[in-house]
Amino acid sequence: MELVLNLDKIQSKSVSQYAKDILDNQNPYKNFKIENYKYAQLHKDVKSEILLRDIDFSKLLDNTKNITSSISNPFDLTANLNLWNYNNEDSFFRVSSLVKRETKSVNLDTFNDRNLFLDISQINENIHISKSSTNEINLIILNSKLNDEYPKSIFLDLSNNSKLNVVHFNVSNNKSFLYFETNLQDNSYFNFISFQSDNIHTRNEFYASLNQECNFDLYGLNINNYGVNDNYSFIQHLKPSSSSREVFKSIVEKGAITNFQGKIYVDSIAQKTDGYQMSRSLLLDDISKANNKPELEIYADDVKCSHGSTVSKLDDEQIYYFKSRGIDSEIAKKILKKAFIVEIIESIKDDMLKNYSNELIESLLS
Amino acid sequence: MLEIKNLHVSIEENKIIKGLDLSINKGEVHALMGPNGSGKSTLSYVLSGKDKYEINDGTIDYNGKNLLELDVDERANEGLFLAFQYPMEIPGVQTSFFLKTAINSKRKYLGQSEMDALEFAKLMKSKAEELNISTEMLKRDLNVNYSGGEKKKQEILQMSMLSPKMAILDETDSGLDIDALRIVSEGVNKLRNSENSFLVITHYQRLLNYIKPDFVHIIADGKIVKSGDYSLALELEEKGYEEISQTA
Repeated sequence: MELVLNLDKIQSKSVSQYAKDILDNQNPYKNFKIENYKYAQLHKDVKSEILLRDIDFSKLLDNTKNITSSISNPFDLTANLNLWNYNNEDSFFRVSSLVKRETKSVNLDTFNDRNLFLDISQINENIHISKSSTNEINLIILNSKLNDEYPKSIFLDLSNNSKLNVVHFNVSNNKSFLYFETNLQDNSYFNFISFQSDNIHTRNEFYASLNQECNFDLYGLNINNYGVNDNYSFIQHLKPSSSSREVFKSIVEKGAITNFQGKIYVDSIAQKTDGYQMSRSLLLDDISKANNKPELEIYADDVKCSHGSTVSKLDDEQIYYFKSRGIDSEIAKKILKKAFIVEIIESIKDDMLKNYSNELIESLLS
Repeated sequence: MLEIKNLHVSIEENKIIKGLDLSINKGEVHALMGPNGSGKSTLSYVLSGKDKYEINDGTIDYNGKNLLELDVDERANEGLFLAFQYPMEIPGVQTSFFLKTAINSKRKYLGQSEMDALEFAKLMKSKAEELNISTEMLKRDLNVNYSGGEKKKQEILQMSMLSPKMAILDETDSGLDIDALRIVSEGVNKLRNSENSFLVITHYQRLLNYIKPDFVHIIADGKIVKSGDYSLALELEEKGYEEISQTA
């Protein structure tokens, strides 16, 4: 199946009308041979009898500036369309968010605070976030208690030399599909951490286009989920000397399915690219599933790219060692689960956010 | 303290221990020596309660309790300690956190409150200094990227912090240089008193120069074939296992 977007056509129609035309042509929900959606089970109505927990974020709100109500300006995406790689066969999923929703924008430079809080579950529109200042900002993106059939896109535009850290809490959702489309201009720095817990059916897609000498870190943590939880990433190195580092950790239990698929793409001119990707899953029982699919697509010849993927269970020998020191197996297992994911929490730069996340994860680990 | 009678153990149908008797009283240090494959490590694992070992026959009494009915962590909290020949590496778990969790698990088992953080830090510091373990090492992940000698010292640190009643040292001397051997032995000797007991498992008489045993037993093919005092270790060093086993 081939899908080629014609930018001329986009210019002459509204973005959403164009997207709608594409979707009408080929209904994605009827075609599940698409490689990138093989395990996502989007056509299925994944349900759970579980009553999702209310997770309290008030402490975090006390220490941050809530900018949720500041998202108001309509944003015209037409000019941005050629930045995105929409001409591959799975593009219509991404395009579909443009049909159902308008897009609103926020410029992070307008705030003086270091820590910003944005609750995207309170916003029905797609959100365009831009930043051009060089000061480092922490943006918390909360997505919680959603039961939404339609994808929502979050566009992140980082201008030259700008720096942004995002901590994304994706928790207690019945259904949620998010698309993070990131464009990093030269010398920009972007650190993205996604905590995913207590969800029933979620998919998160992370697209990033890297220009010259930028740095992108993407960390994901997937624990205590039910149903199907899916992460997909597509990191494009388009210009020379950029680096990306991607680490996903999942603890899977109670019959849940977790999927990770990630591609690092290196353009032929993107020499001196440094790419790293690792996905690890810890399976706690024999009814749960973990699918890991790392991919590299490299057209330059002077690059460093590595990837790895593991699926394992808790090590009986390690549990025995704990028990031999008087630590009962329940506590030993909890410590070992925490040890498996601690690397992700440690990657948070801001101390307040790191401590908060550490306590939150501690309380969520069953 | 520990009374093993007619112990028979197998693993996956292979008989490893074939009628072993051993009695260790309070305040005694026993050395168990034997060639590779004689059942030394199996005995230490069976005493600590590791699964995969099948007890075919025999009894083990530990301070009036049937040891074989206790789970691994219960045995540990009842004061039994096994210093492993190959300590596990635990990535992501700080050494000091592990020590604190172990100490507080024991205190909880004994119905005591958790150890105060300051008191714990003091105890760990003083015990670590005795063993020449740096505070930097206590911040590292447990046994990860430790040298062989550091791992063994870490085992002895855990032992000295948990102050067990019955400690089993499984080839603690293997992989140690002369200096580390002396430090580790001094650590063990400091713990010795009239209330606790040690079972020191080793291939070599060298360790016993530092940790003087009250009794020496020689194990061969899953049985104790000869027992005696320290002089037996010297005789063994001279004649080797084969001759001693044959004359037994």
